[in-house]
Amino acid sequence: MTTPPLNAKRAGVSLTQDAIRRLSKNLTAMISFAVLVVVVGLAVLTPLLPLQPPDRDLTAQMFAEPTAERLFEKTFNFDPQVNAVARERLPAALEKRGVRQAELKSLLADAKRTPEAESQSRRNLRQAEAAIVALEQRAYASVGYPHLGPLSRWMVRTRHALFGEWQLASVCGRDKLGRDLLSRIFWGARVSLIVGVVATLVSLAIGVTWGSVAGYVGGSVDNLMMRIVDVLYSVPFVFLVIFLISILSEDRVKDALAGYGIDRITIFYFVVGAIYWLTMARVVRGQVVSLRNEPFIEAARSIGVSQTAIIFRHIVPNLLSIVVVYLTLTIPRVILFEAFLSFLGLGVEPPDVSWGLLANEGIQVITPIKIYWWLILFPSLAIGVTLFALNFLGDAIRDAFDPRLKGR
Amino acid sequence: MSPRIAAALGLALACFAGIVWVVARGQLPPAEFTFNNDTEIKSLDPAIVTGQPEGRIIEALFEGLVRLGPEKREPRPGIAESWTLSDDGLTYTFKLRKNAVWSNGEPITSQDFVYSMRRFLDPLTLAEYAYQAWYLKNGERYSRAARSLAVGDPVEVELHERTPGAREYARGVVLRGELIEIETDADASQADLADPAKYVELRTFVVESEGRSRRFRVGEPGAARAGADSCRQLLLDFSEVGFRAVDPYTIEMVLESPTPYWLQLVGFYPLWPVNQACVETHGPLDWTEPDKIVTNGPFTLEFRRIRDRMRLRKFADYWDADDVRVETIDALAVESLTTQFNLYETGKCDYITKVSPITARELVKADPPRKDFFPAPQFGTYFYSMNVTRPPLNDARVRRALLLSIDRTEIIATAGSIETPAFSFTPPGIPGYDPPRCDDTNLAEARRLLAEAGYPGGEGFPKIEILYNFEEQHQTIAELVRKQWRRGLGIDVSTRNEEWQTFLSSTRQLQFDLSRRAWIGDYLDPNTFLDMFVTGGENNQTGWGNEEYDRIIDAAKYEGDPAQRLAMLARAEEILMTEGPLIPIFFYATRYLVKPYVKGFFYNVQDTHPLRYIRIDRGGVSR
Amino acid sequence: MIGFIARRLVWMLITLWVVFTLSFFLMRAVPGGPYASDRQLEPEIEANIRREFNLDKPLYEQYWLKLKQVASGDLGSSTKIRTPVNRIVSEGLPVSGALGLLALAIAFAIGLPAGIISAVARGTFADVALMSIATIGIALPNFVVAGFAIILFVFVLEWLPAAGWGSLEQLVLPAFCLGAPYAAYVARIARTGMLDVLSQDHIRTARAKGLGPLSVVLRHALPTAMLPVVSFLGPAVAGIMTGSPVVEQIFAIPGLGWHFVQSAINRDYPMAMGLVLLYTGLLYTMNLLVDLSYGLLDPRVEWD
Repeated sequence: MTTPPLNAKRAGVSLTQDAIRRLSKNLTAMISFAVLVVVVGLAVLTPLLPLQPPDRDLTAQMFAEPTAERLFEKTFNFDPQVNAVARERLPAALEKRGVRQAELKSLLADAKRTPEAESQSRRNLRQAEAAIVALEQRAYASVGYPHLGPLSRWMVRTRHALFGEWQLASVCGRDKLGRDLLSRIFWGARVSLIVGVVATLVSLAIGVTWGSVAGYVGGSVDNLMMRIVDVLYSVPFVFLVIFLISILSEDRVKDALAGYGIDRITIFYFVVGAIYWLTMARVVRGQVVSLRNEPFIEAARSIGVSQTAIIFRHIVPNLLSIVVVYLTLTIPRVILFEAFLSFLGLGVEPPDVSWGLLANEGIQVITPIKIYWWLILFPSLAIGVTLFALNFLGDAIRDAFDPRLKGR
Repeated sequence: MSPRIAAALGLALACFAGIVWVVARGQLPPAEFTFNNDTEIKSLDPAIVTGQPEGRIIEALFEGLVRLGPEKREPRPGIAESWTLSDDGLTYTFKLRKNAVWSNGEPITSQDFVYSMRRFLDPLTLAEYAYQAWYLKNGERYSRAARSLAVGDPVEVELHERTPGAREYARGVVLRGELIEIETDADASQADLADPAKYVELRTFVVESEGRSRRFRVGEPGAARAGADSCRQLLLDFSEVGFRAVDPYTIEMVLESPTPYWLQLVGFYPLWPVNQACVETHGPLDWTEPDKIVTNGPFTLEFRRIRDRMRLRKFADYWDADDVRVETIDALAVESLTTQFNLYETGKCDYITKVSPITARELVKADPPRKDFFPAPQFGTYFYSMNVTRPPLNDARVRRALLLSIDRTEIIATAGSIETPAFSFTPPGIPGYDPPRCDDTNLAEARRLLAEAGYPGGEGFPKIEILYNFEEQHQTIAELVRKQWRRGLGIDVSTRNEEWQTFLSSTRQLQFDLSRRAWIGDYLDPNTFLDMFVTGGENNQTGWGNEEYDRIIDAAKYEGDPAQRLAMLARAEEILMTEGPLIPIFFYATRYLVKPYVKGFFYNVQDTHPLRYIRIDRGGVSR
Repeated sequence: MIGFIARRLVWMLITLWVVFTLSFFLMRAVPGGPYASDRQLEPEIEANIRREFNLDKPLYEQYWLKLKQVASGDLGSSTKIRTPVNRIVSEGLPVSGALGLLALAIAFAIGLPAGIISAVARGTFADVALMSIATIGIALPNFVVAGFAIILFVFVLEWLPAAGWGSLEQLVLPAFCLGAPYAAYVARIARTGMLDVLSQDHIRTARAKGLGPLSVVLRHALPTAMLPVVSFLGPAVAGIMTGSPVVEQIFAIPGLGWHFVQSAINRDYPMAMGLVLLYTGLLYTMNLLVDLSYGLLDPRVEWD
């Protein structure tokens, strides 16, 4: 599986240019790429689209089947006026938070404070902060949006300005609480893709650093670093992740972490990132070892280019291809891992939604006597198409960068 | 080249042979009756388990003085063939049958029961259900060991060493005598002395035994101080407990107060006997292994495969063996609701204890109607409890506002199927008890109360959290309740799920605002529901307390007139419902599926179906 | 080679010790003890349970006691189901092993031909079609694949039993669901390996000599192309073993996988610790075996 040395630098056409040229001739790869662009684009723009809010429940319509009778309905009852009211109250809430902060600060300065008083003060501060958040979110939460960041809030307002009360009908059906499945798939895409990308980037950062240091320094350092990787390979990380996530979801631990703005998803990024770096480190190291002995590196070294410069100017760019391949292959695995955790009840928490959660909810309502087919079919399609595209693109990139396949 | 291929082929063949061998080891002839027991059981020791899955198996393997009927749950003769109750309602006398034997052939005598009861009450046995026997005179004091003792009490001192030649896991040598003094350590602080957890650590007990006085410290052998011997534990003398063998076939029980449901408890498996020789030879963990366990019930344990199944076989020497009609029973340990249902539908299982709410809803609608699904009320309540030590839930008006803005019908329609909305804590179905109802949804009143408490329109209401343990249904309900409160009261609520063990520790330590809970009655009496909410009660877990409530619950224990007693309990429940820390949501309904050819299977509110009475009748073909 | 194995075994012991230490302290650091239960316990009873599990002793003493116990091969007793962990392992491991082996066999049976054919017929419709089929396994969560498979094979076609353990029939579906993702990986690796080999000189020579394409592929290219596939065995075995919980849960198979997940979630210290150590040892051994077999297959590799 190791990639052979990239020594095919010819005059005129660089390896990358050549690879891109070949990639663009590969139909499957181009379709995959287009699909990914569309999926990512839609996920990013989701709040702008005239979709029903993903957490708006209509229990009267639970398990409504997909319908194509009418495409749009005039039911989006977002009220920007609520925001105006909230803005008026915001200064008071901010002031209260200031007071609470000051209280906590003076308490912390007091050496004789009791633990109860401290935790009470922290609770007060958190309540004050929650009140601010509640004001900001009120208009959105009341129509059924999960917690939104500033950009998403702006997008929702823009959408309301553009489309007014019009929104897409439930063309993909509704779930057990009567929520619109189509919009849940869109919102799930945001979470799943972010989880996949961020966790992969974390593992990439660790893996590339580890692998290139080991490969470049060589000798006993290399030996030790790679032995550590071997050892870590034998640790059953699935277990560790479950264990950590279940501990870190516990009330007190979670409260403490929330103080630093860390929630379950953040933990997930880091823990998963910390697992998947091992393969990356191995592959990168192999690549670096073979690069190190290349004539052009020798040359750079002999004319006195610094170590750092060699690593960043010559070695890292040459790692690009395997890094890209690795990215496209790891993101799917992370997305599936999140689905596995959702199956165990350790995935994202409502009102947030991810593809894994949707798949799990879908599979729960599949029984031999009644199949709510849309609840499993559409989420599966979304996951399947995206992961298919990522895998095919990864394969194609690998082929394109493989010099021995040149011209074939 | 070719040796390599040969090696690869050989390896592949070996692997395949291995697979076949492992699978073949698992092959079994099917049992006559197969049911799903929900999960892997914790243990088969009647004294230490508390769960329903354990109960089903233990009730088939063991038998107490009485056992409860399959339909009305009335006490029927078990190992005891008859019993009498004294006129003051305090003393029961049981006559044991002489033809009852253990599975190792030994006769069952009253000594077996005395041994088992003492073991059950012994704090070292770690019996979680020990309080079920505290209705016996001095039962609670025996369980509380040294802490319950006062100077002048007759005591038993258990030493660390055993009598030479005793069984490996037998008790240590027991000295009997009188407690003549309790010395507290001079260097201990007042605060430590008052701490119940450190009680025995800081005291020396002077006991007069066989004419001489000895000083004892309770604890590890090395921990003794100068001038005192160390002992394993110091207990009230067991002869003080109202449980004794009059002769080898007569047992007398004396109660603290008249307890109308005492026979129900005697028919409840924790109070059933275990075999002394077996327990003491193999120890607390190993004696329940299939090749070691000695039982006395209608079935014996043939084998146990972890997380797969347990096979029970009819015990030929059971005193009423003629009445046991099934030769072999398999108890599966399948956890997933979907999987159990699939097994049932494909005919691999004859009875499953529950189906998922969504499946239940479909089964109710099935056309033609199912002949194997009988949803009916069950003796259990699903409710939300509130932590009254945290603002804003410490305000009774807020609690009431939350209670009034719950829409139970919507919850059941969405997350449930056949349950009934609950407006009281005690479920209906107790003869002579009509539980007082709380008010139904009333949003106007709820908003008024919330405004009165200082949160008009939900303005400024602190963010509160609903805690639940992870399960599809709990999650759906929590989501719905969250939405109902947002819609109805305009308040912000979040939800949090925890794994079972974490959930238990959070609720116990009051680390929550609101939490999902459920209670299934242990016996058919309101007391099993109401006594948990006395101030500081072990299962209260809300921080709530009310003096009037405590007084009524306590007084009801000593009330001789059953009707009067139930009236008192109803008054207590009214207090609980008006200002209490809980929101009843629904009463459970049975959701089991059982094949029509399974007979001797009856509905009852406790949803308990003893295996002993089961018969298989496939019509025409007798089996 | 003996030296190589000995060195790796020493590393294995170090690994096990590190894993032991880490898991020991991790588990002690978390709230929710092993004795948490539905009902609140009396202080005496709680104290007794603490004593039974040595939780009343100072931490270093607990650590030492536990280390001695584990080193002597006794993994203690599960707190959730009061059974020795050793017994749970001896019952569950063969089951998980059989399931895993069958899954692996299925993965290779599907993956290898798909990979080889798509490499030989690169760029054709067959290539795309075969690789698409092989990719299904990594494009969907395995509980979804299992759900579809059960509806199709159990209820629509009525070919296979729904769940349980005791016959080869019952093992087919779970092994398929477990092996499907790995079929995809195997196919990919085999394809890459094959493409690699096909561009090499000795293959060109063989072609030039006029050997038929089938013979070139099977006799000359395949053995070399298998090397990367073999090296994938290690990670595959690891993945299959730790990936089996979902499948075991859905198909009610009494293997170790679900115990593994449950013990982590339920804070069943002795069981969690025992299983972590067992899995670590197993994974390490697998990787070692793969390294060794790699050397046997490829004379160019030397152990250092």
